[in-house]
Amino acid sequence: MKNYKNSKIEEIKKITIFPGLNKLGQKEKFEKIEINKGEVVAIVGLTGAGKSQFLYDIEKLAQKDTKSKRTILVNDKVPNKELRFNPKKKLIASLSQSMNFLTDVSVENFLKLHMQARGKTIKEKLLKEILDEANEISGEPISPKMNLLNLSGGQSRALMVADIANISISPIILIDEIENAGIKKEKAIEFLIQENKIVLIVTHDPSLALNASKRLIIKNGGVVKVLKTTLREKGIAYYLNWAESYSLDIREKIRKGEMIDEVCLFCEPTKSRKKI
Amino acid sequence: MKLIIFAGTPGSGKTSIIKYVIEELKDQFKICFVKFDCLQTKDDEYISEKYKIKSIKKLAQDLCPDHFEALETPKIIKENQDKDIIILETAGLCLRCSPYVKEGLGINVIDATAGQPERYGPILTQADIVAVSKGDLISQAEREIFRANILKVNQGAKIVEANGLTGEGAIDIIEYIKSISELKEKKLTLKQSMPSAVCGYCYGNKILDEVSAQKRFLAGKKIKSLVPNLNCGKCGFKSCNEFIRAVLDGKVKQDKCPFIKK
Repeated sequence: MKNYKNSKIEEIKKITIFPGLNKLGQKEKFEKIEINKGEVVAIVGLTGAGKSQFLYDIEKLAQKDTKSKRTILVNDKVPNKELRFNPKKKLIASLSQSMNFLTDVSVENFLKLHMQARGKTIKEKLLKEILDEANEISGEPISPKMNLLNLSGGQSRALMVADIANISISPIILIDEIENAGIKKEKAIEFLIQENKIVLIVTHDPSLALNASKRLIIKNGGVVKVLKTTLREKGIAYYLNWAESYSLDIREKIRKGEMIDEVCLFCEPTKSRKKI
Repeated sequence: MKLIIFAGTPGSGKTSIIKYVIEELKDQFKICFVKFDCLQTKDDEYISEKYKIKSIKKLAQDLCPDHFEALETPKIIKENQDKDIIILETAGLCLRCSPYVKEGLGINVIDATAGQPERYGPILTQADIVAVSKGDLISQAEREIFRANILKVNQGAKIVEANGLTGEGAIDIIEYIKSISELKEKKLTLKQSMPSAVCGYCYGNKILDEVSAQKRFLAGKKIKSLVPNLNCGKCGFKSCNEFIRAVLDGKVKQDKCPFIKK
């Protein structure tokens, strides 16, 4: 435990990815990819294209020693061994749709346990903040006395996001297909970026992909294209978010047992989301 | 030669992780893989077929598999002097035992979904490396709590996040394997003595040698025939077996037992 308190996390300003080889043994088609603090990057491609391997390379800060032979620099430097192999110094937190809570404990005590494991003092204020954020992301309210095991899939994922944003100090977050979790995904991403983290997100969701600052297209185990999101695409993402809010609104009504006979029009997509 | 011992409960992902380690090391080093199990295993055949390396099957049958491993290890080393790395995979049935030796590298593969690390004995507390598997099934927070709890019971542990499906963690383990020193001494010493049963190791023998185990067994058996085996605690030890070990270790005289005095 002592070691945790003493472990300092180096400030990450950016990571740089140098090409490796695809599944056919050919060099990937990019010079280098730079990702800065506070940036969201989407990783897209067909199932089995090698998206998870890309996340793994980042997680391991690969130095030509993973299957893909990619190289990752942190702040323009080769990361030292400590950073790569000592989990206490690990820079990366991850979140995927296959993750579940398995600890039989209340939400409140769980967050406290996590703070202790991270060597932090327990602050009631922070607890409240995390729950508030989780509740904004989740459709269904989470209360501190609820048992962790009884949370729904959406509630669990919402709590995981709020927890990662606030307690895990990791400056890099890897997200694997969050869209299927039944949470307000833009809100979740928003909380993560607020904390000045680097967010890499594997996604099949068009609005999430177009909301990112750039997207990497992966095929046959290699990055084949790096696209910077255009202004036009951002506009389209905005429109998609708006359109989705209708579907979310109707979804909530259906869940409450209401009959649907019309679609309410919102003029301001972002504000309307809060009403839901 | 280097001796690597993988221990972990069945289903924790030992064999899968070993496969990834062997795949990376087989071209650089001469490897011998030894699979210990109780009654049956095919892992050794699978590995020798897939990676074209030497593999050995060791079935403990009626013996405790960890004691059996301690008895067999010196023989395996003797018979495989031409190899660079010997990888032993234990049956992994017991948390109290651990056949880790001081001169080798002990790796515990532990399933992150299998409950609190505090419950594990020497298999975890004496390991040099703790490879946490199935971490991808639990939340980031729980992974961090799990890690902190491992460090509570094994402060010096090097923790690796491993995954038998994707091979995650294999590069970390390889890094450690490359960094440890070769076996120099002929004599290997267990990190932790084993619990009592029916052989020399049952009476606390720690040197991996048949003769010394047998000597210890006979000495232990002699005292065992004198004590009441009631675990009465009058000698100050919790059990008669613990008392016998203490006598054999020279920590206490045998007349401390009131029954022997008479």
